[in-house]
Amino acid sequence: MTTMTPIPQRSSVRATETPTRIYGIMAEFETPAQITVAATKVHAAGYRFWDCHVPFPVHGLDKAMGVKRTILPFLVLGAGATGTTVAFCLQAFTNASSISIWALVWVSGYPFLISGKPLMSVPAWIPVIFELTVLFSALSAAGLMLFLNGLPRLSHPLLQNSRFRRATDDRFFVVIEARDPKFLRSKTEAFLKTLGAKHIEAVEGL
Amino acid sequence: MSAALTTVADLSDRSVLGDARLVRVSRAAALIAVVALVLAAIVAWRQGDPHGFAMIWLQNGIYVLTLALGAFFFVLIQHITNAGWGVAVRRVAEAQAANLNWLWILFLVPMFWLFVTDRQFHGSGHAEGYTFGHGLALIWPWADLAHLSAESPAEGVIVAAKSAYLNVPFFLIRACVYFAFWAIATTWFFRTSRMQDHSGDPSLSRRMRFAAAPALILFALTSTFAAFDWIMSLSPAWFSTMFGIYFFAGICAGGFSALAMGCLRVQGLGYLRGVITAEHYQDLGKMIWAFGIVFWAYIAFSQYMLIWYGNLPEETVWFIARQIGDWAWVSVALLLGHFIIPFLFFVSRWAKRWRGTLTIGVVWMLAFAWLDIYWLVMPVVPHDVATYTTYDALAAVYATTSTGLGNPLNYLMLVGFVGLSVAGATHRLSRCAVLCRRDPRLNESLRFENI
Repeated sequence: MTTMTPIPQRSSVRATETPTRIYGIMAEFETPAQITVAATKVHAAGYRFWDCHVPFPVHGLDKAMGVKRTILPFLVLGAGATGTTVAFCLQAFTNASSISIWALVWVSGYPFLISGKPLMSVPAWIPVIFELTVLFSALSAAGLMLFLNGLPRLSHPLLQNSRFRRATDDRFFVVIEARDPKFLRSKTEAFLKTLGAKHIEAVEGL
Repeated sequence: MSAALTTVADLSDRSVLGDARLVRVSRAAALIAVVALVLAAIVAWRQGDPHGFAMIWLQNGIYVLTLALGAFFFVLIQHITNAGWGVAVRRVAEAQAANLNWLWILFLVPMFWLFVTDRQFHGSGHAEGYTFGHGLALIWPWADLAHLSAESPAEGVIVAAKSAYLNVPFFLIRACVYFAFWAIATTWFFRTSRMQDHSGDPSLSRRMRFAAAPALILFALTSTFAAFDWIMSLSPAWFSTMFGIYFFAGICAGGFSALAMGCLRVQGLGYLRGVITAEHYQDLGKMIWAFGIVFWAYIAFSQYMLIWYGNLPEETVWFIARQIGDWAWVSVALLLGHFIIPFLFFVSRWAKRWRGTLTIGVVWMLAFAWLDIYWLVMPVVPHDVATYTTYDALAAVYATTSTGLGNPLNYLMLVGFVGLSVAGATHRLSRCAVLCRRDPRLNESLRFENI
């Protein structure tokens, strides 16, 4: 993420009147309905690097923003299938084979008959297969969700803005980032004004 | 805005009130049912096999029972969780569940008839140690202990020890208790919900929520013991403490699928336009997936693995009966058709949301829920199992065991009983609103959306 690169030190020795680089333009709305309409229009205007910040889940906002469905389920399916395979191979190797492999040290399978069952006793393995499938799926779902969201992240320019604090309470924000190809400060500000924002502000950062 | 909000829910009378369209369906279903049952009677007469006919009756009776019980369970969990989303589909479930107010006819009438007439169907005459009322042995072998002991002394000893529970009078009393509870509870929930249609009184929702808790406990007990009584005791020496919950998983597979089918068809008639949306179908699909597919497989496997691992002959014999001859194919078909294939199908989001794919999945699940009951009820445990020294020797002798799935009587009875159920539910719906139109959470249900 380009926004995460640290500020080069020499920028601070520039003349003080140089305007600080801005992170983006923030528009504040008062109701879920307003922000849903606004989001539809921002999406239609072709902006790509922008987001909505709301105090609670607003139904229909994802669709209004044109957010694509996440690929997370497919990744989790893959992780689950990996868990299934790993569990099967692990048990086949340890219980039903005498192959030796080198995993830092030499380890060998130990075929051992238990209560007269065949060595390849798949029914007895199913609980382990099930558990590892669930474990791989659950850990990858949580981990990949964080990764796809760009988390963990220690700071964000928006969190420096005092007005933005109301995003956790009773205000709805549309933020268009400066890195967006269509971003032009004056034009974007004018565009957001036409959406009926209650307040518009440039967010400093980076 | 999302589809749920852009498709305006049509709450006009034509969309919501049951009318001639449902009456027509009800009559057609009743007619088909009667024709099928008359044909079944003719076929049964020509086959001249009272035991086989009774088993097919029992199997299909239990199948339509699970469809109604599944809907009953759905209604109960909607109330007890104070769920908002399901209000749009709850009336269909209530009407389906209210079939329990006549399904007792399919069970209690034959039971008491067998009890009263007290016939000897196995042709051995009254054996020594005869007890009154063993006509039920036509279906349940424990009802005629003397005959069972003569056939298989080892089994007779085990079953004799269970006679404090497995005796005819207590059996009949229990059956009456189950049906009394089911009939009263489902009728009460249906009636209370309809009262709200007229009064709009939110306190009725509260009353149904409070009633749902004890009803759910009684539902668990009655469905568990009904499974013990009517299915597990078909092999009276055998037992599984998981059997009740396995039956419950089957109830969910069939019942929730039937509910989804009911919603699809009611909408197909032009009702509830924009009221039941893809969001509700997706959630019904999730319930089928979670309870009827994954939970079913979990319980089925747990039951299998414990018995397989313990390897005690008196327990494994039940599974042996299900893997000899053609039954092995039915068992494999259940593994694939009741778990693996629908697991992958219903895990998909769009397959649950689009009506075409959902219909396919639901019909598939209804078919395999039927096969599941068939697999529970029909196989006969070989009485001479103890005389074989190896499994292979036993399997070789019983290699030609037939499943009886080719018998048209199965399907005639199935059409007959399902037809009666459809006729009952649609008849009930045709006389009231097909939507809980004044439920306080209706608005929440209409706006419901999966995140």
